[in-house]
Amino acid sequence: MTATTYRRIFPARTFSRWTIISLLLAVVLIGPILAVFVAASGDTGGLWRHLFATVLPRYVANTLVLMAGVGTLTVLIGVSTAWIVSRWDFPGRSVLQWSLLLPAAVPAYIVAYTYTDFLEFAGPLQTGLREVFGWQTKRDYWFPEIRSMPGAIAVLSLALYPYVYMMTRMAFRLIPGSFFEVARIHDRNYFRAVALPLARPAIAAGVALALMETVSDFGTVEYFALETLTLGIFNVWLGMNSLPGAAQIACVAFLFVIALLAMETYARGKRQFADTSRRQTTVSPTRVSGPRAAACVAACAAPVLLGFLIPAAILLGFVLEGQSIDDYARIGEVAMNSVLVALAVAVMVMTVAVLVIESSFSGNRIARTATALAATGYAFPGTILAIGVVTFVGFLDDGLQRLAEGLFQVSYGGITGTIGLVLFACMVRFQAIGHGAVVTGTKRIPPNLVNAGRVLGRGFAGTLARVVLPLLRSSIFAGGLLVFVDVMKELPMTLLLRPFDFDTLATFVYQFAKDELLEEAALPALVIVLAGIGPVILMNAMLANTGRGVVAGDQGAPRPAPRRR
Amino acid sequence: MTIQPLPTPARRRGRLFPRARRAVQLALLAVLGLAPLGPAPAAQELKPLDIYSHRQPFLIAPFVEAYRKETGVEVNIVYASRGLAQRLIAEGDRSKADLVLTVDIGRLAVYADQDLLAPVDSDILRRNIPAHLRDPDNRWFSLSKRARVVAVSKRLDDADAIRRIEDLADPRWKGRICSRPGSHVYNRALLASIVAADGEAAATAWARGLVDNLARRPQGNDRAQLKAIFQGECDIAIINHYYWAKLTHGDNPAQRQWADAVRILFTNQRDRGNHINISGGGVAKHADNKEGAVRFLEFLSRPEAQKLYGTVNFEYPVNPDAEPAEELRALGDFKEDALPITRIAELAPAAQRIIDQVGW
Repeated sequence: MTATTYRRIFPARTFSRWTIISLLLAVVLIGPILAVFVAASGDTGGLWRHLFATVLPRYVANTLVLMAGVGTLTVLIGVSTAWIVSRWDFPGRSVLQWSLLLPAAVPAYIVAYTYTDFLEFAGPLQTGLREVFGWQTKRDYWFPEIRSMPGAIAVLSLALYPYVYMMTRMAFRLIPGSFFEVARIHDRNYFRAVALPLARPAIAAGVALALMETVSDFGTVEYFALETLTLGIFNVWLGMNSLPGAAQIACVAFLFVIALLAMETYARGKRQFADTSRRQTTVSPTRVSGPRAAACVAACAAPVLLGFLIPAAILLGFVLEGQSIDDYARIGEVAMNSVLVALAVAVMVMTVAVLVIESSFSGNRIARTATALAATGYAFPGTILAIGVVTFVGFLDDGLQRLAEGLFQVSYGGITGTIGLVLFACMVRFQAIGHGAVVTGTKRIPPNLVNAGRVLGRGFAGTLARVVLPLLRSSIFAGGLLVFVDVMKELPMTLLLRPFDFDTLATFVYQFAKDELLEEAALPALVIVLAGIGPVILMNAMLANTGRGVVAGDQGAPRPAPRRR
Repeated sequence: MTIQPLPTPARRRGRLFPRARRAVQLALLAVLGLAPLGPAPAAQELKPLDIYSHRQPFLIAPFVEAYRKETGVEVNIVYASRGLAQRLIAEGDRSKADLVLTVDIGRLAVYADQDLLAPVDSDILRRNIPAHLRDPDNRWFSLSKRARVVAVSKRLDDADAIRRIEDLADPRWKGRICSRPGSHVYNRALLASIVAADGEAAATAWARGLVDNLARRPQGNDRAQLKAIFQGECDIAIINHYYWAKLTHGDNPAQRQWADAVRILFTNQRDRGNHINISGGGVAKHADNKEGAVRFLEFLSRPEAQKLYGTVNFEYPVNPDAEPAEELRALGDFKEDALPITRIAELAPAAQRIIDQVGW
C-alpha cells in the first residue's frame, strides 16, 4: 500500500487530437469572458477616481467580509456534516445524507425573502414577541437585524454549503479503509491525519464554487442593501450609464477570485495523492446511539431545517393562505421548460468536462490552463456574463451571417434570440461546477491504472472509456446533479437571453419577487424547491451504488470498520 | 384569405392525437414549400409584434389582451429588468425586437443615446402626449406617470411642516425617515430633479441631510417603507404613489393597514411641482414590424388604454384627455414638475455620484 506521487501519464506530445478538442472547446467557452474584458476596455473618464474617493473601499471591504464569512461557514457546515454522515451511523442517517443537499435547490434570494418576511420587525416572530412582552417600538428591545452582513453571510452559507458537503462527502467516501488502519496503528486522529488532508482538493473545489457564487450574487445583496462589489457594478452600469466602468469592476473582482484559486492550488502544491492498493475497501460508518446519535442528528438536521424546511414552510404558508396566483397550467408548462433546460445544460456541461479531461493527464500546460480558464465564468455576476455571452455570440453571428449570405446566399437568423443562447450561457457559467467535479475526481485515479491501459495498447479514447470513466462515474453524477439544481434556479442570464414568451420557474418567480410580491411568487418558488428534491434523491441513489472504493471496490471482502478512537 | 381560428381545447379533445396531427400538417406544408402560403403573413396588421420589456409581463398582459381583442395581433414579449439594451446592440440588424417598453426615463434615454430607437412620425402620439413627456427627436414617448410622493404617518402631528421635498433634510426629522437605497432608479431620478432645480451643491447638501435623518440603513422597496411606518420604525418615507394605492385597494387586509397608517403628501406644490417619473416606449431601430410597433404605441396613448394604466397599476395617464383612475381621486389633484423629462436622464449620473458621496 503506497500513496504514490502523482505523475504525468502522458508525455507532453505537442498537440494530440484530444488536446485540440480541449483547446477548441476552451476557446468557445472563454469567448464570453474575453468579451467582458473587451467591454471593460472602454473609456470611463475619471470614474475610478470618484469610486476610490467614495464607495470603492466600502464595496471591497464588504465583499471581503462576505467572502470570508461565507467561506468559513460553508466549510464548517459542509465538512462537519460530510464527516458525520461518512463516519457514523445513526438513526435517520440515510435520509439526512441526501437531505443535506436540499438547500441547494432553494435560490439564495428566496431564502433571503422568506427569512426577512419571517424575522423582520413586521414579521410574525417579532410581532409575536412584542405581543407577549408588551413592547411597543423598535427601541424597546434588541433583535438581530436580518438585512445585515451577518444575515447575508448566514443566508448565502445556508444556500451554498451543499457544494462543500457534496464534494467533501465524495472524497471521504472514497478514502480506503486501509488508510484509517494506518492512522489507527499510529494512534492518530482519523479526521485530522487522514480525512482532512485527503479531502483537501475536494473541499477547496467546493469552497471555490461557493465563493464564486458569493462574489457574483446579486439577488441577496440587493435585497439586503449590502454594498458589495456586485451592487457597485450595477450602480456604475445603470446609475452612471457606464458599462465599461461596470465591466472593469467585474473584471477586477474576477481576477481576484482567480488569484484566490491559484493561491490554493499553489499552496496545495505537489501534495497530490492517489491510491494504488489492490485491495480496496471503504470504511463503513460506525454505529452510534444515545446522546452521540442525537448530536449527529442535530448537527445534520440543523442545516436542512434552516436552509430548506423553514423557507419551504414559509412559502407553503403563503400558498395555503391563498394569496398565490392560480394559473396552475402555466406553472406546469414553465416547470417543464426549467427541467428541460436544466437537464440539457447538465448533460452538456458534463460532456464538455469529460471531453477536456485529457488536459488534466497530459503535460500540455496550455491546454490545462485553457480548460481551467474556461471554467471560471462562474466568477462574474450573471447579468454581466450574459452581456459577455450576447456580445460574443453576436460577433459570431455577424461572421456566420456574412458567410451564409455572401458565400451560400442563404439567410441566417443567428443563435441570439434562440434557446441555444440560454443553453450556451448556462454552460459558460456552470462549467466551473462540472470541471471542478471531474478534475477532483481525476486526482484520485492512480496513474498506474491509466498507464496500464496505455501499455495494453489502448489509445487515450480506449483508456478513457474503459478505465477513467468508470472510475469517474460518481464524480460525473455529482457534478451533473449540482449543475442541474443550479440551472433550475438560474435567473439573470435566462431572464436576459431567453427567446420571446419563454419562461422558466426562476424568471416566472422573478416578475413577482422583483416587487417583493412574495405572496404571488410563493407557488412557483415552491415548485423550484420541490423540483430539486427528485433529482437529489435520484442522484444520491446512484452515488450510493457507484461510489464504493476508488478502484474496483468489490475485489476485497468488506472489512470491518475500524473502531472509534 | 381567411384566418384559421386557433384550435380550442374542446376541439382538441375531439381528436385522438391533435398535436401530432397538427405537427404532421405543418411538416408537410414545410416540405412542400407551401409554408409561405399558410395563414401567417395574411395582412400587415397580423404580423406579430415582438416587444423587449423592462416592465413585468403581468403588468403588460391586460394591454396586450385588449390589443389582441381589437386587432387580432399576436404580441410576444421578452421581459428582463436589466441589459436588454446590450442585447439589442449585440443583435444588431438581426434583432427581432420591434418595440421597447421601459419604466424610468433613464433607461429610455439610454436606448436613444445608443441609437437603438427609430424616430416615429405620428400625429396621434404628438397629440396624445404632452411635449415635455416625449423625446424632442420623437424616438421615445412617455405612456404613464408616477409621482414620487412623501408618505407620513397619521401619528405625526407636525407633518404640515413638509411642504417641499427639500424639507426632508431638516434636522427636526432626525431618525424619523425611511428610504429604499438611493441608487434605486426612482430615488436617483428624484435626486436628479433636485439637482436640476437647486444645483449640484445644494442637492448634495440635501442628500447628506436626508441620510442623517434616516431611521435605519436604506433597504427594501417602497412597499417595505410603508410597512415600516405602520410598525412604528419611522414616520416619513419617500415612495411612488401607486405603492400606496396598490396596498389600499389590494385584497390583503394586513397590507391595507399599512396604507391606512399614512397620509400622502405631494411636495413643492407652491413652486416647481411634485417630481414625476414615467414609463414609456420606443420603436426599435431594426424592427421588421415598425408599423405594428407604432400602432401599438398609438393604442397605448389612447384614452381607453391610458385608463387601463390606472386600473392595472394605479399610474397617472399622460394623455390629458384621460381621467386618472377612480382610486387615485382620494389623493386629489397635484401640480407636477414640468421639467422636460430628458433632463432627469441627463442628470442621473451626477445624482449617482452624489449618492455615492453621501452613502444613501
